[in-house]
Amino acid sequence: MRQAGAYSGLLCGGVSGRTGPHSLPLARIKKIMKNSGEGVKMISGEAPIIFSKACDLFIEELTRRSWIMAIQGKRRTLHKEDLASAVIATDIFDFLITLVSNSDSHAVGGATNVMEVETIDYS
Amino acid sequence: MLPQEQDRFLPIVNVSHIMKKVMPANAKILKYFINFITGEASNKCQREKRKTINGDDLLWVMTTLGFEDYVEPLKGYL
Repeated sequence: MRQAGAYSGLLCGGVSGRTGPHSLPLARIKKIMKNSGEGVKMISGEAPIIFSKACDLFIEELTRRSWIMAIQGKRRTLHKEDLASAVIATDIFDFLITLVSNSDSHAVGGATNVMEVETIDYS
Repeated sequence: MLPQEQDRFLPIVNVSHIMKKVMPANAKILKYFINFITGEASNKCQREKRKTINGDDLLWVMTTLGFEDYVEPLKGYL
């Protein structure tokens, strides 16, 4: 089986050793940033690294808020409706409302897409 | 005899299959998030007549848009 290379970031903890292994590919992040608009001309080296970690924090927050919605519905399975409810209930997620609106049933995956999750004690 | 390290984990193919089921939702949401923050950072750079978006611009935008809780953990990456 092919092993990860010494410089893969998986073993040595990112490019500089202090950034940690990136869960999201930096090149992909940079590509998305460049496609954000015509105004985006140049991107500094640390920007994709910051975004990689910011996306981790963003997913974590969105998942926790969605989990609260599932618990309120007396369920332990996360549905796309929980995601939509979390987005609608949180002001800072307003930019996602068009993505999770009921009018677009394919916005966040099909209705069959559910995620089984364990109960996590955050206390 | 100690089992090989790979034997203690789920097969990669199976893990990938599970992840791909959930990925479209996450990928689209993350793309929106990146576009949203980058767009505002780009506007800031244009106002300040700069061409390069840097880490400080992103942190400033996150604070402005209500993601201030992210800023402290991210400062170490600058």
